[in-house]
Amino acid sequence: MEYVLEARKLCKQYQDKLALRDLNLQIEAGEIFCLLGQNGAGKSTTINLFLGFIQPTSGAAYINGLEVASNVTKVKEHLAYIPENVMLYPNLTGLENLALFSNLAGFDYSEKELMDYLVQAGLPAEAAKRKVGGYSKGMRQKVGIAIAVAKHAKVLLLDEPTSGLDPKASNEFSDLLLKLSGQGTAIFMATHDIFRAKEVGTRVGIMREGELVDVLSTTALNANELEKLYLNYMHN
Amino acid sequence: MMVRSIAQKEFISTLRDSRFVVLSAIVLLLLLAATVVGLHSYSTLQAERDAAQQTVNDQFANSEARHPHRMAHYGSYAFRPKSSISFLDFGMDSYTGASVYMEAHKQNSANFSQAQQSSSLIRFGEMTVAFVLQMLIPLLIIFLCFGAFTQEKETGTLKILLSQGTSLRQVAWSKIAGFSKVVALVVAPALVLAALLLFGRGGFELNGDLLQRLLLFIGFYLVYFFIFIVLSVVVSALHQRSSTALVTLLGIWILCCVIIPKATANLGATLYTTPTKAQLEADVHEEVAKGIDGHSSGQDERTEALKNELLEKYKVSSVEELPVNFDGIRMAAGEEHSTKVYQEHFNELTDIFRMQNRISEYAGFLNPYLAVRHLSMGMAGSDFNHYVNFQNEAEQYRYNLAQGLNHIQATQLKYGDKETRLSSDTWKEFQPFEYETPKAGWALANHLVSLIALFLWLVLVCTVGMKLIDKTKVA
Repeated sequence: MEYVLEARKLCKQYQDKLALRDLNLQIEAGEIFCLLGQNGAGKSTTINLFLGFIQPTSGAAYINGLEVASNVTKVKEHLAYIPENVMLYPNLTGLENLALFSNLAGFDYSEKELMDYLVQAGLPAEAAKRKVGGYSKGMRQKVGIAIAVAKHAKVLLLDEPTSGLDPKASNEFSDLLLKLSGQGTAIFMATHDIFRAKEVGTRVGIMREGELVDVLSTTALNANELEKLYLNYMHN
Repeated sequence: MMVRSIAQKEFISTLRDSRFVVLSAIVLLLLLAATVVGLHSYSTLQAERDAAQQTVNDQFANSEARHPHRMAHYGSYAFRPKSSISFLDFGMDSYTGASVYMEAHKQNSANFSQAQQSSSLIRFGEMTVAFVLQMLIPLLIIFLCFGAFTQEKETGTLKILLSQGTSLRQVAWSKIAGFSKVVALVVAPALVLAALLLFGRGGFELNGDLLQRLLLFIGFYLVYFFIFIVLSVVVSALHQRSSTALVTLLGIWILCCVIIPKATANLGATLYTTPTKAQLEADVHEEVAKGIDGHSSGQDERTEALKNELLEKYKVSSVEELPVNFDGIRMAAGEEHSTKVYQEHFNELTDIFRMQNRISEYAGFLNPYLAVRHLSMGMAGSDFNHYVNFQNEAEQYRYNLAQGLNHIQATQLKYGDKETRLSSDTWKEFQPFEYETPKAGWALANHLVSLIALFLWLVLVCTVGMKLIDKTKVA
């Protein structure tokens, strides 16, 4: 079976620090994989390796069957990325930001289509024509989601996307992820939010000191059990 | 499409940034003010020089009846006409003087004014269009571009940009294109105004050479700005923080626009020392004294040899029997000798200045500012080469005038005749001094080193710079 996102013995060594150790991971289309771990556990390193922003020390990352390190530009066609804090360009409006990033991905949408993507992502229509500099973090994050959705990517890489969002915005975000997942998008989300991971994730991985120490199905345990397990790993 | 999209984003974002708008408005106003003031200054000076040249020409042509040698000492003035686009770059005009007094037997002291006034020709400080273009626009570019990559890194947008499928090079070229458009928006109005003032106000003929000079002038500055834009974007890409990128770029600006020019000027003056005016005049006097003295009726060896040569040639036994006036012949021989001596010393002096300038020209390989400065002055016709060309033309005219008057004395007056006065009709036959600025090709040929240096910089920042950008750390 061909996985949409895959890591084979993926390692990253930074001079005197092993940031990622032998990561083996397979994610299918429509799956939401949530990666839990403390700061510095290797979550962002993993995402950067899938994005091709850093080269692996050994092993390989694959997106849609293509090895990332040797197809850095090509794999970008299949993935979208939302960072922890979507800053965007403050002097451009939400619409202009979305138009820009969509153009870069090769899509030339009409203003109506762009507006539809933003509204679907939860951004009020009146806000779409205002400069992003005046947006809240939640609003910027919604533009980030619209950018990802408008790209029609097979893989969505999210780096702590709900960090700092209020509960309402966080909930809306979860709904959107579930919707995208339902449309067949594979989602890889690094997060600290155990409850959000349990709520939207198909599987949850726990990472500690660069090592994926456990992978669990979210149907097998409730949020409290997941939290307890996670804390156990962190304390041992 | 990618490049165009990001370039357009940079352009729009910058225009919506009030800090940039204020800064650009200040620079644009300075540029416009320098253009208008420069042109006004040019017009005033040129009108004064035209009037002065006309006056001295009239005075010479309508001079009272005089002995030809008195007329040779009466002499005339050559006023250096300002090059039409010198209002954009005053260059060395302010330091080289505007007029040369032309009289018999010697090049007047103004010819050697550099030896008197300075140890180096490379001293500037006026608020001209060139000053704004050379010093302030790069500063504007630095403030515009220092955050090109660092801000994207700090805000995380670089990762989003790259995740959309763009490469670092595409991002870099897009930003360069966007910033180029912004810089053009600031500079273009001033250049258009300059062109309108130049060709629209009358007094300037739109001839091919002037147009060539103006287009080359603009072209060299466009290349210079482009180098600074690429350099700034590359430096920004190599830094993680905007503040450190800004400090680095300001350091480069200080080095390029302040320290290296001053250092090379001082180095040139130290390596190639110019003689003092007193020393120069003493040397000239000493060597002139070794030749025929046109004024002396004494029987020195050289005059005796010249006399004997003539007596033998015309097969006569005394100077009174010669078919030509020996006084005029002696004057002409003395003029020839003293001119040769003066010219040799003048050439030696200009060679020293050229050596000083050469150091500055070769420093263009280290510093694009110096390369464009030389090219700018060259195209504006206000560089050292144009100055020397004028000096040589004026000297040639002076020599021909003096020898023409000596010829009149030799052919129309008798030996020993110091009383005969010739009417002004005689002086009217002498064409007044007219100077034509050399062509743009000549000016460019004098600055080949700077031209190569500027284009080498262009190639260097575009190749090495992009290779460095490829290695930019994204995460």
